[in-house]
Amino acid sequence: MSKNLKTALLLGAISVTTFLLIIAKYWFMKP
Amino acid sequence: MSAVIDSHGHEHGHHDHHGGYSGIMRWITTTNHKDIGTLYLWFSFTMFLVGGVMALAIRLELFQPGIQFFNPDLFNQFVTMHGLIMVFGAIMPAFVGFANWQIPMMIGAPDMAFARLNNWSFWLLPFAASLLMISFFTPGGAPGVGWTMYAPLTVQMGVGMDLTIFAVHLLGMSSILGSINIITTILNMRAPGMTLMRMPLFCWTWLITAYLLVAAMPVLAGAVTMSLTDRHFGTSFFNAAGGGDPVLYQHIFWFFGHPEVYIIALPAFGVVSQVIPAFSRKPLFGYASMVYATSAIAILSFIVWAHHMYTVGMPVTGQLFFMYATTLIAVPTGVKVFNWVATMWKGSLTFETPMLFAIGFLFLFTMGGFTGLVLSLVPIDIQLHDTYYVVAHFHYVMVAGALFAAFAGIYFWFPKWTGKMYDETLGKVHFWLTMIFFNMIFFVQHFLGLAGMPRRIPDYPLMFETWNKISSIGAFGFGLTQLLFLYIILKAIRSGEKAPERPWEGADSLEWTHLPTPAPYHSFENPPVLK
Repeated sequence: MSKNLKTALLLGAISVTTFLLIIAKYWFMKP
Repeated sequence: MSAVIDSHGHEHGHHDHHGGYSGIMRWITTTNHKDIGTLYLWFSFTMFLVGGVMALAIRLELFQPGIQFFNPDLFNQFVTMHGLIMVFGAIMPAFVGFANWQIPMMIGAPDMAFARLNNWSFWLLPFAASLLMISFFTPGGAPGVGWTMYAPLTVQMGVGMDLTIFAVHLLGMSSILGSINIITTILNMRAPGMTLMRMPLFCWTWLITAYLLVAAMPVLAGAVTMSLTDRHFGTSFFNAAGGGDPVLYQHIFWFFGHPEVYIIALPAFGVVSQVIPAFSRKPLFGYASMVYATSAIAILSFIVWAHHMYTVGMPVTGQLFFMYATTLIAVPTGVKVFNWVATMWKGSLTFETPMLFAIGFLFLFTMGGFTGLVLSLVPIDIQLHDTYYVVAHFHYVMVAGALFAAFAGIYFWFPKWTGKMYDETLGKVHFWLTMIFFNMIFFVQHFLGLAGMPRRIPDYPLMFETWNKISSIGAFGFGLTQLLFLYIILKAIRSGEKAPERPWEGADSLEWTHLPTPAPYHSFENPPVLK
């Protein structure tokens, strides 16, 4: 796997994880 | 660094092909960073005109008290779409256009790291913009919720809200993919010898901006997705009727929204940091401190979001934290302003159009920063919240900050991009008219805000009439002046004089020192030799 692809996948994973975590956090915090 | 101009220019026959396609297909299929940069810039200018027409509609309605032309609902729709289009369709794509053109040339790379992804990042934008515009023609019209898309208004809007949410998703995807490309390009594709601390500051500001985008845009995507599920899938994240919390939306939105301010401002800082040294004929003063100040601004931008929400009823300790954190941003920003002024100090200054716009930026952006400092103070903000003072403040940041820097950058790099010179006299006329009309629109709005005129309202008491008239006249002057800009650019492209190899002798980044003018279609296929 090229260095460029590794960098891109890492950054993409950070974005997707942030998106999912922000929704999950408030989904589980619901009263 | 070596100052030898790369002689690739004579190989145009081999290097200047456009991938086999011509006409419209060239632009649809292009993977060349220069083509894609051009697409971004023209797209952003088109959106600037569309958002500008909406701004003129707003100012037309506000020319005098009473409802004149548009019903309040349509007025709200114009306010909303003006904000969304200008932020996501005009300013952000403009700076991505600069990034595409400049970053590979400035670091000695042949192109962006992911050329096809780059094409896709751009072509998401016209679809997103179309969705925003189509929303005007849906039942209920475009959403009238403001660019912040606050709950619970979002739950009450028609189908136009869904189109807007989907548009925001696409715009966010485009920004994230573009940012991944920029970070990868800068980290992995610099020419040998181009260390991070030797990069032009424009590349540094974009590297930091791209990190901000990767961290902040998913938060916005999460917020609007939750709004979408509240609307259609029975959730109650923000809907108080179902046990949700509308203020939660504001927290999530502004956790994205404040970094967004710097996502727009930092690339503008980068452009100005290239222009001012070039026309001062001196290196940038305090390069390392500029890098650290930019990083500090980016980090601080994540801990100040609730200064947009002082009036929601947060505890005093919360207000104090966000107030002190916000005022702290004045320190690295002050470092930057000091460094720009120090760069000019005892420089051999000339005042061509790019420098005029850069100095205009410096003067007016500092004013916008100062009114930001005023608004960061809780006792004052509670008085001024949602008044025209806030409108004046952020337009000094967004227009006099970002737009002036974009104009500076376009005039500065236009000879390198096209090989043509623009009309310097007309450029100066464009600057001075823009400067005068900008202040005519927005300086007086400080007075309106201090006197208590609320924002996003189509009608107002008679006492506000004079300043509103001045502001509206200024707006139409500003709009017409931007048509002059279009004329200057088209005239230069069609019949501009041939640009010299080094039109600005003080500019010393790689695109000026190692590439011919205009830059060839494919540049730095072999990495430059940097000493």
